[in-house]
Parts: sequence; C-alpha cells; structure tokens
Amino acid sequence: MAKDHRLLDLLRRRRTEHENHLIDMLLNGQVNRREFMRHGAVLGMSIPLLGGIAAAAGVGTFPNLARAATGGGTVKIAMTVPAAAIEPVSVADNGGLCMLSQVGEYLCVDGADLTLRPVLANSWAPNKDGSVWTFKLRQGVKFHDGTPMTANDVVATMDRLADPANSSNALSAFTGYLSKGGTRKVDSYTVEFHLDAPNGNFPYLVSSDNYNAIIIPADYKGDFEAHFNGTGPFKLEKYTPKVGASFVRNDDYWGPKALPDRLEFTFYSDIQPQILALQGGQVHVVQQTPVLAAVPIMKDPKIEIMSLPSIAHQQVHMRTDMEPFKDKRVRQAIALCLDRPKLIKGLMQGRAQIGNDSPFAAAYPSTDKTVQQREKNIAEAKQLMEAAGMKKGFEVTLTTEKYLEIPEYAQLIQSAVKEIKGKITLKIEDQGAYYGDAVYGKSDWLDSTMGITDYGHRGVPNVYLSAPLRSDGTWNSAHFKNPQYDQMVSSYIAALDLQAQRDVAGKIQRLLLDETPVIFAYFYDYLTAIRKGVIGVQPTAMGHLFLSQTTGV
Amino acid sequence: MIVFAGSQLLPGNVGRAMLGPLADQRAVDNLNHELGVDRPVLVQYTDWIVHFAEGDMGMSYTLRHPVTDFVVAAMKNSLKLALVAFVLVVPLSIFGGVWAALHVGRPIDRIITIFGLSTTVLPEFVSGIVLILVFAVWLQWLPISASWPEGAGILTQVYYLILPSIPLVLVLFGYIARMARAGTVEALDSDYTRTAVLKGLPFPVVIWRHVLRNALLPTITVIATQTGYLIGGLVVVETLFHYQGIGGLIYAAAKSKDFPMLQAGVLSVGIVYMVATLTADILYSVFNPRIRYGAQG
Repeated sequence: MAKDHRLLDLLRRRRTEHENHLIDMLLNGQVNRREFMRHGAVLGMSIPLLGGIAAAAGVGTFPNLARAATGGGTVKIAMTVPAAAIEPVSVADNGGLCMLSQVGEYLCVDGADLTLRPVLANSWAPNKDGSVWTFKLRQGVKFHDGTPMTANDVVATMDRLADPANSSNALSAFTGYLSKGGTRKVDSYTVEFHLDAPNGNFPYLVSSDNYNAIIIPADYKGDFEAHFNGTGPFKLEKYTPKVGASFVRNDDYWGPKALPDRLEFTFYSDIQPQILALQGGQVHVVQQTPVLAAVPIMKDPKIEIMSLPSIAHQQVHMRTDMEPFKDKRVRQAIALCLDRPKLIKGLMQGRAQIGNDSPFAAAYPSTDKTVQQREKNIAEAKQLMEAAGMKKGFEVTLTTEKYLEIPEYAQLIQSAVKEIKGKITLKIEDQGAYYGDAVYGKSDWLDSTMGITDYGHRGVPNVYLSAPLRSDGTWNSAHFKNPQYDQMVSSYIAALDLQAQRDVAGKIQRLLLDETPVIFAYFYDYLTAIRKGVIGVQPTAMGHLFLSQTTGV
Repeated sequence: MIVFAGSQLLPGNVGRAMLGPLADQRAVDNLNHELGVDRPVLVQYTDWIVHFAEGDMGMSYTLRHPVTDFVVAAMKNSLKLALVAFVLVVPLSIFGGVWAALHVGRPIDRIITIFGLSTTVLPEFVSGIVLILVFAVWLQWLPISASWPEGAGILTQVYYLILPSIPLVLVLFGYIARMARAGTVEALDSDYTRTAVLKGLPFPVVIWRHVLRNALLPTITVIATQTGYLIGGLVVVETLFHYQGIGGLIYAAAKSKDFPMLQAGVLSVGIVYMVATLTADILYSVFNPRIRYGAQG
C-alpha cells in the first residue's frame, strides 16, 4: 500500500515527541503494525488514530469488528469455582476474576491482541519522564445502582488498592510505583497518577492486567457479593457461592448493549466435567482449558478451541548460589539440552510460542528480535560441563508444583539432561506445599535448588523482570544477584520511548541468555473451548471472559 | 481436636492460601489478622470450640459466609445421593449374594462373584467417565451433571442422581454381595436350616425366616460401615458429576485451609457415621434376639 504523506503530516500534528518517534519507527520499518498499535496504545493514542496512521503509512487498516445483527438467549459457561469470596480488593484467582469481569470494568483493557484499549478512560498521556500520567474519564457512565461514575470513584478505588492497611492483592503490582495518595482528582472526569518512580508502561498497572483494578464506588463497604455493583454490560441476577451465578443485560450500559439476554455460569472444581458438559451440550463455553485436557476435544467437530497468544509460562529456576548451579556454564548446558520446538509440538500440541531464556516473548513490541535463539546443542552442552569440571555429571532434586503440564515438563527435562549425565530426582508437590508461606526460608518455591513455577500472563514484562530476577526481588527463586541487570531493568521500566525500551531489552536478553538463572522455554497459549456456532466470545489471557457480543446460542 | 491439630501442620497459612503466592506479604499479614488466624493456636481452638458448643459453626474464611449454610446444604445433597445409591445397591447386592449362595459352585455363582470383584476394584472415575460418555454424551438419556435445576421435584432429583449413583453401586455391589453370599452359605449349612427343611417348611419360608435373618447380620455391619464412604468419601464422584456434596466441601476446605468449614464438615460426617452404626446395632438386635437376651442375662 502507498503512503499518504499529506494525511500523515496532518495526523502527526500535535503528537508528542514519543508519539512522533513511534510513527517514525513505523515508517522506517523498525516496528510492525501490531507493535505500533500496542505501544501507541500505551502512550495513550486512540485506536482509531493508530488505525488511521497505520493506514496512511501504508501498513494496512485496523479491522472492523462486524457486530452481529442478532442476539438474545442465555450463554451457558463452565468455569473453575472461585477460590474465595468475590471481593475486588483481594481477588487472586481466575474464577473470581471471571466473575468480576462480568459486571466490573477497568480504565483500559489489555485485549486479546495485547493492545490496550480505553474502557472507562477515554484517553491517557504521560508527562515528559513518565512519572505523572493523566487519565481522562468517560462521561455518562453509571454504576448498576444508578450512581454516576466520576473521578472520586477512581481515586477511591486506587487508594484502596494502594493502601498497605488493606488486604489488597494489587499491592505487589503497585509497590514502588503507586502509593496511597498518589491518585489525585483534577476535575470530575480527570485523574492524575503521581508515581513513586517513572514507569513507561504504567497504564498496564491500572488496566485489566491488574486483577483488582476494576472501578467500584467510592463508598464501597466491602460487601461486593451482595450487589456486584459495577459499571459493566451485565448486572447480577443471582450468585450462589460454590455453585454458580447468573447475570442479565444492563439496559443502562454506556456502550453498545449486550447481545445475550442472560449469562449462566456453572462452577466446577475440575476441568474434566467441564469438558464433558461441553461435549454433552450442557454448556456453550469452557472458560479455560489446559492444553492436555483439551487434547480429546481438539478434533471434535462440534467444538472449537480458541487459542489466544499469551505470555504465561513456566520458569525453570536454578539456584545461582548453590551447587551444582553456581557455575553459569552448568546452567547454560541444561538449557542447551532442551529441544524447544519439540516441546512445543509434543507437550504443548503446538499451542505455545518459543522462549529464549528471558521474559521477552516475541509478542512484546520491545523485544529485541536480533538476539539469537538458543537451540538444542548437546555437543556444546558437554563442552560446557567439562569446562565447569562436571564431566561426570551432577545430581539434583527438581521441586515443583502439580499444575497444568508442569509434571510432564519436569519429566521431559529429567530425561533431556541425561545426555549430559545429569541425574534429576523429581519432587512434585501440591501447590500449597510448593509455595508454602511464599517467603524465603519457608517455601519450596523460593528455597529449592531447582524448580518449575507457573507465571500468568502480563501485557508488559515488568513484573517478570523484577520480582523473580532482581537482586531484591521477592520471588527470586534462582537467587540471582547482578547489579548490572538491576540497573538495566530500572532503565527499561522507566523508558517511555519504544526504541529506548528495545535497546535496553536487547542488553537484558543477552545478559540473561549468558547467565541463564531461569529457563524460559515456551510461552503457552490461553485456550478457551467453545461450541461451534457460538461467536463473539472474547477471553483475555489474564482470565477475563467478555461475553457482551456473544451470539449463536 | 485431631482435625484442628492436623490442619495447623499443613504448610502455608490462610492468608497466603487466599491471596495467592504472589501477594504482597503486608496484604497477607493484614488478612491473617482480620481473620484472627495470627492468634495463638490454643486461643483459636478455644474460641472455635466455645462457639461450636453454642451451635455456631463459625464463618468460612474463604467464602465469608456462615459455615452452617454450606455444610447443611452439602450434607442434604450427600444424604440424597447416598439414599439413591443405597436403594439401588442394597436389594440388588443382597439378591445377588443370596442367589449366588443358592447356586454355590455353579456358573451363576461364579458370574456374580467375578462381576462383583471386578466392579469393586473399578475406580469410580473410570466407571463414571464411561457412564457419562455412553448415557449422557452419546445416547443423551441421562443428564451429565447431577445438579438438578432449581425447584425440581423429587422425581427429577432422583432422575439426576441415577447416573452418579451407578459407580457407587458398582463399587459396593461386590462387598455387600460377598458378605450376603458367605452368610447365606453358612446359614444354609447350619443345623437350624436342616431342621426347618426336615420338618417340612416350604423352601421360601426356610430362606426368609431362618436363612436370611441369620445370613444378613454381617451384611448389615458392612452396609453400616460403608455409610462414612457414601457420605463423606465421594470426592471423585462429586467432582466428576458436578455435585455439591459434603466430600467435595471438606476437600476444598482442606485445600484452602478454611478451618471452620473443614472442622464443621468432618464433624458432621462423624455424626452421620455414628448414627449409621447405631442404626446397624439396633437392626442387629432386631434380627438376632439373642443379642437382646444376652444383654438382659
């Protein structure tokens, strides 16, 4: 497609320095359309604007989502039983999050294509160094009890989440960036976030990437389950703990009205009965299915498996302060034993993307794709073992959790390292035993010599780069301490400009590839199983399930 | 007390289990304080036992609702499933056992014995999945889930409970039929049966009055001891058939360290088990008057 320079000039007017730099990168071919859309959204550029610039730059238009003409009916969904009471401040599990996402909304949503889209905020923009972010709120939004949503509700919501005196699950995300009092009302529909430190990806912290950041009324008393009072397209009809929930269309919704009349959720404690219920036609959607559970239905003509690229992954940590992993050459040798394409094809049934021993998945716009991919190389691995004085091999216990495909993955690692005379004993525990108290000295996760831990999806790599890998990280199970790395991560998180992020990312990727405290072999897709003919189901890799545009039931 | 002590030994803590491994430690500490689980263990236990004695089973840590509502609802469901299973398995297995005993050493005896042994060792999740696939997914004769629609009548509820009760019937059939067979064989061999036959009583009367009354005594004991399993041990069946029973409730409570729920659930199952064994003792004395006379003598 040809470039429309006149239109481009017009669209570039009044854009900030960072935004214009991003447009330059698109024009020079340094970012593709998808990366341009994603990073542009973080900087607060609207989706239509980004689509317009992309079209003018000759790299395609943003696809129009055709709205189905007919709706109605009841969508029936099978999902995992919420682990605890539905409480926006403390909710920590997929089941609870899925309930919240039926009635609650975020300032912005990290969608299926990993692009931020405005929801309760119309737009947002950073100051020059990314230490203050201004969000303009949508007007005409009402909570289900009829109260209008204003800046007061946003300030109260964020302060509640940032308050260390609450049992807020958002504290781990906010600490170091947003404190109580940092969210300030400018006017009824404008809010400023004054950060503790600059953050170039801050909108993700108040988006759907943060489970707890749904906007609830300022006068919230902690009784969410009684009313499910949010601003979303569905209203609560009935909620029965451990059994299920139903919702009906919210006719006062600010946006396009929901197509289904009703949603009916049934809670299950295991995946197998959910799959059987889908096969038997008792439900239309299974919210999430692990890949191994989905195998029997992958060829079922009545069922479709929706595969959403995600950054969720299994981290294989190796204690850098303990034998046999003190020498980085041993860690590198183990990483070289893995045949990643085979792992993805066999273990993950092709539903994963390859990893290169850093959290920088290919889907992140900031990932430096020039960094060479690590491949299986037994000869090199043997050389490294010999150089490390480990020619005779090593013995180690790999401790891990019984979750998803992790036990099978552990067995494959156990088998792979036999080629370099590695003897791994597996210790596979219940999740409660593995995580323990989740503090050093009281947790197999954080104390084991070698382990595998599941990490959920995040729209930006900040969390993965910090908690499990920084010297002062609270989840640093590899006990990796590298001041140079710490400094690089601080620079990466603060950077607003995509090129600046990409430059630092490349350095981090190379450092982690060399040090290999953690193996990132693959990033697995988020799978949702749906009856054929049901369309418009929109899951996110975080575990939300948006059903307002669902038809065909 | 054992359950309470055991639950304290489990790794991790309540706040961490609820907020997840990635939660900030301050949030975990706040939640533990809010729930009162950071108090000394003895204080927690005394507090719980005092409230329990007053009829207050406490609040669920995870669900923030009174425990009683969940335990009562789950117990009702479990009793319904157990009842349907009992109604199917008890006559069927007694009939099978007696029929086998009456044909000792003949092909029908062997068929019943081998069938009973095979189904007893068949895990419920295997038979359950096969039954669901055949009767619910392919033939669509019965519902996949055991949870009936709200407001359903008694017949509808029974209809929903047929499929999940079959794996239980298969497991229990072998036990009960074997006991019934052994008891019947022994009773058939006894002097009083020979006397009854020799004095010319019709065969059905001999079986009903003299054989079964004696043969079923050990069978009653077996049935009573299976009550605990049928009420509290059906986690797999409840999970597979999506049924809200007490077994699943206890299992989930143990996993999430929801001690009030766990303790209330275990105690309730214990009470049902006690009632079942007491009923068995009463039935024993009804069938065998010698026990009553023995007690008087």
